[in-house]
Amino acid sequence: MTKLRLAFLTFTALLMGSAVPAFSADVLVGYVGLKDDLRYHPEVAYTRIEISSALRPVEGARLGFDDLKIVTDAANISVRLDEYDAADANEAIQKVAAMAQAGERFVILDLPGEIVAQVAEATRDLPITLINATAPQDALRDLCLPNLMHAGASDRMISDTYSQFLRHRNWTKVLMLVGKEPRDKEMADAFQASAERLRIEIVDRKEFTTSTDPANREENNTKLITGGKDYDVVYIADSLGEYARYLNYATQLPRPVIGSTGLTASEWHWAWDRDGATQVTLRFQRLAQGGRFMSPQDWSTWIAAKSIATAYAKARSDDPEKIDAYLKGSRFVIDGSKGYRMNFRPWDRQLRMPMVLATSNAVIEPAPFPEFLHQSNELDTLGVDEPESKCKAS
Amino acid sequence: MINSLLTATSGLLLAALLSAPAEAAGTGMIFVSTEKGNEVVVLDRDLNVVKRIETSRRPRDMHFNADKTLLYVACGDDDTIDVIDVATLEVVDSIPTGPSPEVFAFSPDEKTMYVSNEEDSRLEAIDMATRVSVQDVPTGAEPEGVLVMPDGKIAYVTSEVADMVHVVDTATGVVTKNILVGTRPRRFVLSPDGSELWVSCELSSEIFIIDTATNEIKGDSLIFVPPGFREEDVTPVGMAVTKDGSKVLVSLGRANNIAVVDAKTHEVIKYILVGRRAWSVDLSADESKAYVANGLSDDITVIDMKTMDPIKSVAVGRVPHSVMIDD
Repeated sequence: MTKLRLAFLTFTALLMGSAVPAFSADVLVGYVGLKDDLRYHPEVAYTRIEISSALRPVEGARLGFDDLKIVTDAANISVRLDEYDAADANEAIQKVAAMAQAGERFVILDLPGEIVAQVAEATRDLPITLINATAPQDALRDLCLPNLMHAGASDRMISDTYSQFLRHRNWTKVLMLVGKEPRDKEMADAFQASAERLRIEIVDRKEFTTSTDPANREENNTKLITGGKDYDVVYIADSLGEYARYLNYATQLPRPVIGSTGLTASEWHWAWDRDGATQVTLRFQRLAQGGRFMSPQDWSTWIAAKSIATAYAKARSDDPEKIDAYLKGSRFVIDGSKGYRMNFRPWDRQLRMPMVLATSNAVIEPAPFPEFLHQSNELDTLGVDEPESKCKAS
Repeated sequence: MINSLLTATSGLLLAALLSAPAEAAGTGMIFVSTEKGNEVVVLDRDLNVVKRIETSRRPRDMHFNADKTLLYVACGDDDTIDVIDVATLEVVDSIPTGPSPEVFAFSPDEKTMYVSNEEDSRLEAIDMATRVSVQDVPTGAEPEGVLVMPDGKIAYVTSEVADMVHVVDTATGVVTKNILVGTRPRRFVLSPDGSELWVSCELSSEIFIIDTATNEIKGDSLIFVPPGFREEDVTPVGMAVTKDGSKVLVSLGRANNIAVVDAKTHEVIKYILVGRRAWSVDLSADESKAYVANGLSDDITVIDMKTMDPIKSVAVGRVPHSVMIDD
């Protein structure tokens, strides 16, 4: 009936450092961002109205170590962030190599997807583990590099969240609107693959433009682009956000909008009020510049830092290889204040996690939805599952 | 003959009268705090709602004083502990606390109240006579479960973020030891002989047992796999122990079950299916019934402890948190 599991018997003794000599160490954890990262430019619309003030998420990582300070203190470990903003991919590669040289075992990457790929390839043989916190591209998960982990959600996880939601609501006809940016196509392709797997009908996929040239009116007029066909819901992929901003309440048919506006899927929303989420949001606000809300990227760097500190404190070893193996292994459990135990998938090293579907001020639904079952872990209904993955568990 | 009979009868009567306060002191009323309803719902023995007592916002943990004349309710969003008069069912007082009080416990002499304030990561000791905070013990982030030992010398508090149980010397207000347990430790229950402290760890789905003599973890952790659920669905929070110490009831959270555990062998005697996200659990004084607050189905489930079957579910209000019985 009850199964028993090995407890941390000896570990408590180790923590208190009486019989066992205490392991005492200063641990530096790298954090590499980009000096001029377009993703964190405030979105300034016409007449300089700031419509979004996305800020660099390094404060999430700081909170992660701060939250676990009492634990690392008890284990006689002092964990500090070694923060650096690189000018470009080359400098990022050199910096990561220098961090490895200096004995740092883990580096949190807050870099755009293409630079993450270059850094990971270039440093694949170094004794260093990279945790990609903010690049959602599925292609990075398909690199199958043993030294590259992912703490933020992948595009496919975000897309599966929408698809499960649409199935749950029985809104099965979708009109897709996609921008001209490469990132818009990436997001839209991930959504389409996910929707089609759940037999959601894409009634049309149209490209929009923000130009008001009358010659392009089929693409720039929200009524025309959403007319002509019936659908249950509009999905929009607009990484710049300017077109999406004007889509709600402007469609030809009175239909809800999901994706880059309306209802948005992500790792985190400040309005989530269960599972201790409010306390995380409040702690972040106290720590963050300007008392801002915690963004999904802040959550991802927070959970990356928290995972690393937990691995140091609980691996029951001072051997970096064993700490690394513990972090990647099945014994590892981390709490992301979303009500589920989480750990990293052994095939593509993606953090399993629940997702939230939120409007600007409320979480409408968490995912996974209860009707989506899985043979081993419900969280694996979100994202590329083991049989579909190019990577093999190790 | 008649005389002696009379004496015997009056003696019996007297005995009955004398024992009456102990036997039937309670009203049998069941109190349920509802986090989003901002009220304590009162049900009678027959499970009819007799009153909804409006409280400060987000009422959570509740405790009676020793003679059960007052019920204390921690109200997280107003930073107070409301006091309900059990006779009149009115809020008669409000004790200010630090930010977001969640769980609390009294010292054995009821002179001090220990409150976990989840927002500023403190265990606060409040002197009940003066209402003044006399100790402020820093803990790991999001402190939750609080338990004071029967001799009043030690208080235990969990930190949900640090995965630790802090051992606090109540005389000095100093943490004398940190015990690392599983992920997101929530609540405590103490064996009646005081030797074992059980800790529920919500996200690693296990119960740790601490030996209170040494403050070391004793044996292996307990895990649960109720029918139709996986180990990771189990998010244990609330616990209750029988007076003889033979059985512990553990609420399994998202696994929607209560596990009745043999306290000695640690075998699960029975899994009982209740409502969604079973949280707090309390036993009636005669231990014939158990009451479970179901956070996500807004109801409580009544369990017959003889057959260990659920016998009734009663809708109470938004997000039931704790159940206390006046009997």
